[in-house]
Amino acid sequence: MSTAVASAVAAEETDEPPRGVPAIRYFLSKLGGAAISMVMVILLGFFAFKLLPGDPVALMAKERPMSAAQMDQLRAQLGLNKPMIVQFWDYLGNVFTLNFGDSYVYKQSVASLIGEYFWNTILLTGTSAVIAIALGLWLGQRAAWKHGSWFDRITTGTALVFWSVPTFWLALLLLMIFGGSLHWFPTGGMMSPNPPPDALGKVLDVASHMVLPVITMVAVVYAQYLMVMRASLIEEMGEDYLTTARAKGLREDKVRTGHAVPNALLPTVTLVFMHIGGLIAGAVTIETVFSWPGLGKLTYEAISGPDLPLLQGTFVVFSAIIIVTNLLADLVYRLLDPRVRAA
Amino acid sequence: MRNRSRTIRRVSASLVAGALLAAGSIGGAGAANAAPSNDVADGSPSPAASASPSVLRIATAGFVDSFNPFTSIYLLPTNSIRYMYENLVANDEQDGSPTKGLADSWKTSNGGKTWTFTMQDGLKWSDGQPITSADVKYTYDQMMTVPDLGVANGNLVSNFASVEAPDAKTVVINLKAPQAPNPGVEIPIVPEHIWSKIKDPAKYPNESNTVGSGPFQLVSYKANQSIVFKSNPDYWRGAPKISGLQYVYYTNSDAQVQALRSGDVDFVTGLTSTQFNALKGAPGVTTHSGVGRRYTSISINSGMETADGKPFGTGAAALKDIKVRQALRQAIDNKTLLAKVLNGQGTEATSFIPSSFPKWSLPADNPAIIKYDPAAAEKTLDADGWKVGPDGIRVKNGQKLSLRLLVDSSSPTEQTTADYLKPWLTKVGIDLKVQSSDSDTISDKSTKGDYDMYFSGWSINPDPDYQLGINTCASRPTRTDGTGGTTQDGYCNPAFDKMYAEQRSALDETARRAIVQKMLALNYTDTAQIAIWYGNSLEAYRSDRFTDFALQPSKDGIIANQAGAWGYLRTAPVAGSAETSNSHTGLIVGGIVVAVLVIAGIIWVVVRRRHADETE
Repeated sequence: MSTAVASAVAAEETDEPPRGVPAIRYFLSKLGGAAISMVMVILLGFFAFKLLPGDPVALMAKERPMSAAQMDQLRAQLGLNKPMIVQFWDYLGNVFTLNFGDSYVYKQSVASLIGEYFWNTILLTGTSAVIAIALGLWLGQRAAWKHGSWFDRITTGTALVFWSVPTFWLALLLLMIFGGSLHWFPTGGMMSPNPPPDALGKVLDVASHMVLPVITMVAVVYAQYLMVMRASLIEEMGEDYLTTARAKGLREDKVRTGHAVPNALLPTVTLVFMHIGGLIAGAVTIETVFSWPGLGKLTYEAISGPDLPLLQGTFVVFSAIIIVTNLLADLVYRLLDPRVRAA
Repeated sequence: MRNRSRTIRRVSASLVAGALLAAGSIGGAGAANAAPSNDVADGSPSPAASASPSVLRIATAGFVDSFNPFTSIYLLPTNSIRYMYENLVANDEQDGSPTKGLADSWKTSNGGKTWTFTMQDGLKWSDGQPITSADVKYTYDQMMTVPDLGVANGNLVSNFASVEAPDAKTVVINLKAPQAPNPGVEIPIVPEHIWSKIKDPAKYPNESNTVGSGPFQLVSYKANQSIVFKSNPDYWRGAPKISGLQYVYYTNSDAQVQALRSGDVDFVTGLTSTQFNALKGAPGVTTHSGVGRRYTSISINSGMETADGKPFGTGAAALKDIKVRQALRQAIDNKTLLAKVLNGQGTEATSFIPSSFPKWSLPADNPAIIKYDPAAAEKTLDADGWKVGPDGIRVKNGQKLSLRLLVDSSSPTEQTTADYLKPWLTKVGIDLKVQSSDSDTISDKSTKGDYDMYFSGWSINPDPDYQLGINTCASRPTRTDGTGGTTQDGYCNPAFDKMYAEQRSALDETARRAIVQKMLALNYTDTAQIAIWYGNSLEAYRSDRFTDFALQPSKDGIIANQAGAWGYLRTAPVAGSAETSNSHTGLIVGGIVVAVLVIAGIIWVVVRRRHADETE
């Protein structure tokens, strides 16, 4: 699903920001693009899932001794007996009131469900993102400064290996070793079934549940930050201003951290913004393996349900996150890179 | 240039600081999130909420629509409701036969049109109120009169004309037509004094502090995290020996296996044979393979028709020929499939009633049973006029004997079975086209009759009436898109229907059994489906912590997913077993990791600041 969204907005990602365009026009054109993407997503959210094969009620009632009358009753309860156009109208109403209707399975509004699970996902992906970015950028600039060295080869090689490893496989492997065999960390969930009563205990409980999923997520994503940081720093390294800095008598470390790195950060910051949305969507696998009660798991359950309103809700929300973060990436890029806003 | 790099430095420093702040506040949100679930547990009067060694923790990935016995249709809540509410009549432990529930005894009169139940003395709800016939009448009346309350079990009361409660201990069910299957089974009875006060019972989730009559009562439910039950000390069969049950959510079944190994849970079910074998010999773990309630078959499209005889779908014309269907049966070796595909974890099937219900199941020595015999299959087809063509595939009237088989691409079992079937059928001159698809598409196509063969299966209840019923002509769809009816294989044979009506009113069980056997034999000969196996349910539990799990059926049966509430009823903690040193290491390591991260973040920000100061 997220890949579909990603490709839908890919056109914008690759767009070079037009140079020398007045701020307001630049802003409006980006906003317009985002709005069009959003409308497409909302339409797709209804029709794509309506085209899915299978009658939701028949699938829900699979293997349960139910009569046709019982199934018709259920269909009426879920509003599935209404004509398509009425269902579409209801859907639009639900989207614009940010309610998304009631989940078939959970029997509560999809908006409240997403609200509940959203913060759990943010906790997991936010922590992972901060660590992955810090680790990637730090290792990247170190590797670039001494590129070709053993340190460079080992860090870059390791990062690329983790990047190529299937997330699912790595997650299960960690779970087996550190959960099942060594008992160091819990095997799933966000907190113990019987969490400690005190606040500190609770924080530590959640933290211990986070360790394995965060390690997995960091391991599979930090390489991209490392590679971009490394590449852009290597590009800066031949620049004259570094020679100037050295001529001033600055220590090598200071030349790197004070002069080269800040300039190399520019493309990286844009990358960071563009990937935030993808990170959240990418949590599906990790949340599924580690039974983390987040949006990814909710989506997984919605698909297996099939829980149409929930599926539509998560689809629209995931897409909106990606569209908004892409928009932010564009705007931040303009803010950071004077060449883009140079009139 | 200097100016610019300073700006960037500031921006990057503030970005990092912002990110850390965000992470911090999110951490706070996570902790705040943690609070409610604990409050619920604290607020409960039950010892089940504390980390006591006598709470049995069960791994699950099950969907929960609600714990409302009137409307819940998913497996996990349905099983939970079995533990929460007694029925008038229970399915016994030995083989699922009707046995004492809320009712002590029952008798039929008026040729099976009237059933009179006498309730046990001194029954109490878990809140101490007496259980009376009024509660039973209330429950049945709600299901009969409010359509929304009939969603879960409406079919079980569709033959009810009226229900009377002449005194506190007597329930009289007047039926529209005589009925041999006991009408008191499978309907959870709810307390009137609770449910009559609920404003909209159909929408009531019933997910905390329930009042019921069963051995365990629901304390709290947190979606995708846990379901907590405490034992009911007043349960009439005797209080459970464990203080409660706790379902813990694990989305991934491999993670469930790891959770059992590490001691995070005490019970897992639904294992694959690979997982099952991996757990054999794990310290403190005992594995159990039990005869399930489920049959697996190849459903054959022998010409789909609506209930009033309008044909629909795309079934191959050749399959309307009973000889072709019987030849398929002769060409398929169930024994090999069971041994190779299922690793022997099951029983060879005869019909759609599993051997775990020996009273009803078609015995393997029934004269109707056709043996695996590819040579006989060839003879059958030869005699039927199907001549082998130049490419080895049989032809009759210019029509090739080529059949489609739908296979669920996510099911290794179906795929492997198809791999065996293809050469077997080719050998006797039948071309098999295997079509891999997702399960939703298969479900859709099977409803519309758009198939020749597909893998099908049902979990069967102790009384075979429902399953026999969905093999009658009248149960076929009313519409040509396949909706408006539930049919097992689209089967229709008036002789079968006639016997169905007979067994339904055969109050003498021996007589009824004889009729049901004849029906299964007829369905077998007609070959509307080829039942392959009754797969075992593979389970495992921490035998170092708990003992005495009860099986249903008591010989070689299953623990979880029973048609009853016996599995954990007598389960007891193992003497001397302590709470496993549950993830204390994890807590400490987690704490250290968090601390290191926060400190590293602070140092980084400070260093950045200082650099900025220096260069300015």
